[in-house]
Amino acid sequence: MLVGIPLEQSNSTIKPKECATEMSDYLVAVADARCKRSFARVFNYFAPRLRSYALKQMGNEALAMELVQDTMSNVWQKAHLFNAEKGSPSTWIFTIARNIRFDMLRKLQNRKEDVCSDDLWPVLCEQTADANEAPLDEQVTLEQIGYLFESLPIKQKAVVEAIYIEGKSQQEVADELSIPLGTVKSRTRLALQRLKVMLNDND
Amino acid sequence: MIRFHPSAHQLKEFVEGTQSPAISLMVSAHCDMCEKCQRFVEIETESLAAQMVSTANDSAVDAGDVAFQFGDMLSQITQLPSTNNNRSESNQPLEYRELARNIDEHEHVGCRTIELDGRTFTLPRTLHRYIDKTGNWSSLVGKLWQAPVDLGNQGVANFIFMGSGGSVPEHTHRGTEYTLVIDGEFSDGLSRYDTGDFIFMDGEKTHTPKAEGKEGCLVFSIVDQPLHFTSGLARLLNPFSHLFFR
Repeated sequence: MLVGIPLEQSNSTIKPKECATEMSDYLVAVADARCKRSFARVFNYFAPRLRSYALKQMGNEALAMELVQDTMSNVWQKAHLFNAEKGSPSTWIFTIARNIRFDMLRKLQNRKEDVCSDDLWPVLCEQTADANEAPLDEQVTLEQIGYLFESLPIKQKAVVEAIYIEGKSQQEVADELSIPLGTVKSRTRLALQRLKVMLNDND
Repeated sequence: MIRFHPSAHQLKEFVEGTQSPAISLMVSAHCDMCEKCQRFVEIETESLAAQMVSTANDSAVDAGDVAFQFGDMLSQITQLPSTNNNRSESNQPLEYRELARNIDEHEHVGCRTIELDGRTFTLPRTLHRYIDKTGNWSSLVGKLWQAPVDLGNQGVANFIFMGSGGSVPEHTHRGTEYTLVIDGEFSDGLSRYDTGDFIFMDGEKTHTPKAEGKEGCLVFSIVDQPLHFTSGLARLLNPFSHLFFR
């Protein structure tokens, strides 16, 4: 639990219109000042709603939480792309969630190379420039980075292997290794970051 | 003038993200060209977003556990770096940034268009990424040209160019055919279609597309089953139609 950030259970009493203005201001504060307190307000309002929405759509708790995490991560990292003149915060966040779900479902069906949400709804138009995860599984095959892969720490390697080679979900990996889902996510992220650094060094 | 649009149902499924990727691509490209459907999509998006926000939080059973997971998630997220490294870039209007990105990706603006026979066609935004995945033009029958577009696991779409007076032999469809008119006009014995029109044909209809204008007509087309030619010599094409149109 993070100290200094109030975790409110529900803001559901706020009226939609006031709420849009309020959330809009918070998003601007996140974009301009990386204000964690403002982000927490946005998070506390939207995360439970996103989760209910995702549960209804996908009927799977782990996938729903993954959708919430990915969506809210994008909100945190790309708040500067929010434009109040183009629509309300809920519309913006809904479209991000909808796009992530669209891509998640394609990934579940092992369809990597076809239509992606970015083509259809370019709401996060810097997405392709995102250095975090996306380019790795799209542009570089595991054969090419095989020898770099071997040099990963054993724990990170195991997680990446299970997800990217065996095609397991992060939840399945967490269950198998008896570690929390968050740990799987952070190991994956660390491993991909490390691979990316090594790839850049090799260029 | 655009007269043929996706149905309200197709547009709604597109906004929900539940429409198939290939059809989403067609709908999205149509919306690039059609303000009316763009507006519909905006309104539908707002309404779905409002629905999401009003979704009751009905998970009282595991509320404590979920709250704990959320707390954990929040602290993880706020440790992520911002991707907004370049403030000056992000302060530019969206259109500029999108253009810059397009140039970044392809290194030249030329690939917003495709060429055939010395003519250049500008494509709707949604299709820009598929220019690189478009194969060479090949001649079919008569004045008909085709270039396949690889959609990965979603199959193959085609750019089809009907030269002035050129036509596709009369055919019916075993599956469904989606056609978007990119540039020009054609008629098919059932209706006359113009630039931007979104045409949906299924197994019940037989048609003979023909470009009547002087300029010919470029369409983008997806079929999920080979066409079935119904008349004359073209029937001989049936065993091979999957080679032409898939």
